[in-house]
Amino acid sequence: MRSAPSRTLRALPTLLQIGVAETVAYRAEFLVWILTTTQPLIMLGLWTSVAREAPFRGYSSPRFVAYFLATLIVRQLTGNWVAWQMSEEVRSGAMAMRLLRPIHPFFAYAASHAAAIPFRSLIALPVAFVLLASSGQSALSTDPVQLVLLVPSLALAWLATFAMLFAIGALAFFLTQAMAIANLYFGLFSLFSGYLMPLDLLPGPIAVAAHWLPFRFMLSAPVELLTKSLDHERLARLLGGQLAWTATLLAIALALWRAGVRRFESVGG
Amino acid sequence: MTRYLRLLALQLQVSAASAMAYRANFLIEGVMSLAWMALTLLPLIVVYSGRDTVAGWDEPKALVVIAYFMAVRAVLEGTISPSLVDLVEKIRSGSFDYVLLKPIDAQVMVSASRYEPWKVFDLAGAIAVVIYALAQRDAPPAALDLVLGAVLFGAGVLAAYALWILCAAASFWVVRLDNLMYLLGAIFDTARWPVQVFPRAWGFVFTFVIPVAIMTTYPAKALLGTLDAPAAFATVGGSLLLLVASRLVWRIAIRSYTSASS
Amino acid sequence: MIRAANLTKHFKVHKRPPGLAAALRSLVHRTYDVVKAVDGVSFTIARGERVGFLGPNGAGKTTTLKVLSGLLHPTSGEVAVEGHVPYRRQAGFLGKITLVMGQKSQLIWDLPPAETYAMNRAVFDVPRAQWNQTLAELTELLELGPLLDKPTRQLSLGERMKCELAAALLHRPTTLFLDEPTIGLDVAMQAAIRDFVRSYNQRHEATVLLTSHYMDDVVALCPRIIVIDQGKLIHDGDLRQLVKTKDPDKRVSFTLPKAIAPDELGKLGTLLAREGQRLTLRVPEREVPAVIGRLLGELKATDLAIEDPPLEDILREMFGKHKTDPPPEPS
Repeated sequence: MRSAPSRTLRALPTLLQIGVAETVAYRAEFLVWILTTTQPLIMLGLWTSVAREAPFRGYSSPRFVAYFLATLIVRQLTGNWVAWQMSEEVRSGAMAMRLLRPIHPFFAYAASHAAAIPFRSLIALPVAFVLLASSGQSALSTDPVQLVLLVPSLALAWLATFAMLFAIGALAFFLTQAMAIANLYFGLFSLFSGYLMPLDLLPGPIAVAAHWLPFRFMLSAPVELLTKSLDHERLARLLGGQLAWTATLLAIALALWRAGVRRFESVGG
Repeated sequence: MTRYLRLLALQLQVSAASAMAYRANFLIEGVMSLAWMALTLLPLIVVYSGRDTVAGWDEPKALVVIAYFMAVRAVLEGTISPSLVDLVEKIRSGSFDYVLLKPIDAQVMVSASRYEPWKVFDLAGAIAVVIYALAQRDAPPAALDLVLGAVLFGAGVLAAYALWILCAAASFWVVRLDNLMYLLGAIFDTARWPVQVFPRAWGFVFTFVIPVAIMTTYPAKALLGTLDAPAAFATVGGSLLLLVASRLVWRIAIRSYTSASS
Repeated sequence: MIRAANLTKHFKVHKRPPGLAAALRSLVHRTYDVVKAVDGVSFTIARGERVGFLGPNGAGKTTTLKVLSGLLHPTSGEVAVEGHVPYRRQAGFLGKITLVMGQKSQLIWDLPPAETYAMNRAVFDVPRAQWNQTLAELTELLELGPLLDKPTRQLSLGERMKCELAAALLHRPTTLFLDEPTIGLDVAMQAAIRDFVRSYNQRHEATVLLTSHYMDDVVALCPRIIVIDQGKLIHDGDLRQLVKTKDPDKRVSFTLPKAIAPDELGKLGTLLAREGQRLTLRVPEREVPAVIGRLLGELKATDLAIEDPPLEDILREMFGKHKTDPPPEPS
């Protein structure tokens, strides 16, 4: 038999195709996931109201609009629900089946969720147009370097988010309350990733924490690239941070997975 | 009637037994409750660190709204959501058939079938926030305001329950819809802000289309003594209307289930 | 008393062909097939009867049971159980019936059966005295003693099934719908449950409708069987009558000490199976005494066995045949 990586690579097109079919088959569920990520629109409503009379700590209404539309786009392109999916599969027994297949589940899940990106882009694209049309120069970055780096930044953000949620999903091997932890995670994520509000607006010590925690590099980083003017030093630190955290999260995810599978196999699920 | 109450008591007992089975839960739940309270309050604190009022709501008043949000959420996560999860699981495994075979109305049987007793911490937290917020004001609330605030809390809980039942009914048609809970959660999350804070279009949606305002803003106004009688009646009326609508949809859903299941 | 007149139940199933193009198309447009699960079935069952429903998988047996218990609305036709219209699911009706589904459980998974029983008592509003009495009776008959306080998930399949049965009967229903109650159980447990059902039927004059893939269940429990295939009723009557009508020949098995010539064998009967020296012949009933005489006498056969043809064979032949035959009269 061929080596595992080459087998996986050859299986990739099929995996992606199946991912697309799954997305279509469970279209109602998919639609619901998409709708849950439209929270930035709510925040947009709130913060533009707050900044209506005067800018709030340097953020004017148009700036908030640009920020939250950018956040919505990035969230659509990077979000996934693999933690929930893994928890369900452990419970239902489908995980046992998955472990019998020769493709490492990490890739199988990744392919499945990556396959949904084109569909999610269908939501993101119109929003992107609205963003460009309404904000233009004032609130969006025009630095070509930043815009080019947006692509790897988004890719890293996607991978980091996936790794983190995969790790939480792996907790389902150990705890029945994995989903409670996932919910708490999302609460922390909303705050520290810039989903609820720009990180600049967080109070002192919390803002400092936010600058170092991984959440920023899952969402805020690409948004910052899109909406701020960053000098090359800050740019390097931002992307370096993304690289470092993505690698760390991947390592944690795979380690947790391995430990979880070992436990799963010894306990019998 | 006593039959229903006996059933309710039994279900509570069963859930409590399950919950207390693991003593570690107590600590974990306590810590999570505190963490959630902090996460909930932080955005509000940030907003009011830069503003005295937003859309006419000062910090103490906004705190009352968020306290109602925490309280309704505690009831939601304490019983309504767990029961819904249980229902979806029953539908998926086919055990829901047995619910239909019992001589008690199916909606009653599934509505408060599971509990998360530790959410009572969250309720306590909500009460603490209300007390703190009311203490910041010039005068304590009038007795009538307290009564009205309590009544409208009940109406708010019923409205949230009705929304969740609509969601449960949907899961009969589209079997794999148990993530709809997350959508409802996201929608309900908007209730933490006074509805006037949003632009007018949103405000309309959140009052009349997906009436989250019934769950937090208007009960808060009642407690603060700023809700006039017509609005109070309209809030309670809207809640009851939602309840009736959800019951109708539920019955349609059951009718569909008993025509199509195999 | 159970009455079904021209009962029909159709399902709409949506077609989901494989392939990417079809998957994308189904995003906007879905096509449906109509499945006729039950197609014009009529029968009447008197109080206290034990009736077996037989048929291949997907024949419509479970669907019929579900309509009778009120879980499904029929597409057309009439149905009445103990004077009630089942799908109205009136409290009076639900208190008189019970449905046990071998593949689905009503016991709460993480808790002992005793908790589920307490729940059912509250739900059916059974007076405590009657409850205790029924529980004692069932505990004794089904040997539930040590099982009642163990969490359901810790019970073996057979133990769980016994507890399920008890949960289903604690409100003393007078009509029992049993859908594959012995599936997956070992032989001893199957026999125990069969004995229990017969005993309950006799004690309480309860009507029993049973579906099962195990012929032994039906043969042991049900004097009358209703055969359903592809939604149509193709036989309704006494089990032994069915066997006699469809295949009146007996199966005679024996072991011969030495080989016998084929044409000699042909005079005794038709050869069905040969395993070494052990032969099975098909012999018309009236010739059996003569054949036995010859086998035991001059042929010195040993290990003689005379049996009815296996019910499976008869049924298998019936299934798929009914499309050309006219519908039979109920006997």
